[in-house]
Amino acid sequence: MSKVLENLYYQATDEWLKVEGDIGIVGITDYAQDKLGDIVYLEEASLGRKVKKGEAIISIESVKAAAEIHSPISGEIIEVNKEAVNNPQIINEDPYGKGWLFKIKIENMDELKDLMDAKGYSEYRKE
Amino acid sequence: MKKIPLHSFHEKHNAKFIEFAGFIMPLYYTSIKDEHMSVRERVGVFDVSHMGEIRIKGKNAKKFADYILTNDILNTNYKDVKYTVMLNENGGIVDDLFSYTFSDEEILLVVNAANIEKDFYHLKKYLWSGLELINESENTIEFAVQGPKAEDFLQNFTSYDLKDIKYFKFDFIEIFGEKLLISRTGYTGEDGFEIYMNKESGEKALTQILEKGKDYDIRLCGLGARDTLRFEVCYWLYGNDIDESINPIESGQKFLVNMNKENFIGKNALEKILKEGIKRKFVGIEVNGGIARHSYKIFDRNLNEIGFITSGNFSFVLNKSLALGYINLPHGEIGEEIIISDGKRNLYGKIIKKPFIKPRVKKEG
Repeated sequence: MSKVLENLYYQATDEWLKVEGDIGIVGITDYAQDKLGDIVYLEEASLGRKVKKGEAIISIESVKAAAEIHSPISGEIIEVNKEAVNNPQIINEDPYGKGWLFKIKIENMDELKDLMDAKGYSEYRKE
Repeated sequence: MKKIPLHSFHEKHNAKFIEFAGFIMPLYYTSIKDEHMSVRERVGVFDVSHMGEIRIKGKNAKKFADYILTNDILNTNYKDVKYTVMLNENGGIVDDLFSYTFSDEEILLVVNAANIEKDFYHLKKYLWSGLELINESENTIEFAVQGPKAEDFLQNFTSYDLKDIKYFKFDFIEIFGEKLLISRTGYTGEDGFEIYMNKESGEKALTQILEKGKDYDIRLCGLGARDTLRFEVCYWLYGNDIDESINPIESGQKFLVNMNKENFIGKNALEKILKEGIKRKFVGIEVNGGIARHSYKIFDRNLNEIGFITSGNFSFVLNKSLALGYINLPHGEIGEEIIISDGKRNLYGKIIKKPFIKPRVKKEG
């Protein structure tokens, strides 16, 4: 059973969003990292890039497959997790912690209502 | 989808399954990387029962095998194994396989799972009268025990000195409490053995392997690690790196072809290819910016299409993204810079020497 954390927002494409003030931290869920298997490549997101909710931002690749990371929210990318770019395996090891992907300055808080909470996401990914 | 004989055993060991060649096969149990490194550093065991076994029996079986396969089978003796390819009349590769010589009257071919039926019909098409073809695939269990500690580990199950089985030799020995066929072969680039048995013995033997294997921190390995391991040492994967549209000269498998033989299927075509020269070659590529996967196109720096990727993966030992593919000559020199694309995204690559890491098998003699 994959881990789902409380107090995060989730979207159907398996990204999570943590909100701290007007900053959003984005990562992939435990379910997603488990599905991908050994992650071996994370594309570096461009700092300053303006992104729309749902837009494909970067690719992430495992031995088996490549996947797109979609931004759960609109805004500007203000920080990239270099440690995860250099050592993508930490996304497998700690998807909600050290394996976060990038931070966004959130443009529109209203968009949060379109995301799932932990309970909703658990239901959605119930196997 | 067919299940392999020990499917429920693998389920019990938390295998993640994948469909492959008409079979539901274990892809991995812990993680591909963990299993990969167990084989490079210690020992791992693969259930490769999906592989096919076709026996040729009857007068001149060895002569027939020599005619249908490219390697020198005629001069092999009892207990010899040969890696070889089987060609169509155009010189295209029907399969790559291992040939086990039992006698002049008996040869066992171990073929790729996806090709079992195709190979059987190919052999049947050319079969000489008086010869019998037996497809034993469904009743044969095969385990590959691979890694630098493979010999030391397997020695626990037999009083026979495993040092006596040299690289690319086989024997029948008492192991796991029965007399079984074992060969010093594999496809991981490490020393190791492949052991054949019937369905009934399979679970018993694998249980013993995993129990004793705890002392060796052994891993049960799936298809995922089998692919990443063979890839690092640049061994060909049928269906990816070779198929009937590719000949063994361009794939770099000329060493599997004995052109001095009087005749073999595909010889005329290969003579012509050798005379005219090949148009493309199989190369190793270092990749920047992701994984270059099967069927991605290769371009030169001026964006002219010059080839295609056949296998691409991440090397856990070298910690970099690498690929194999075909490049049209005169391209493909070591150091040449190329662009790889799936149509959406460009990756940058450079031709490098093969193999990416050297096999550490125990050489003959």
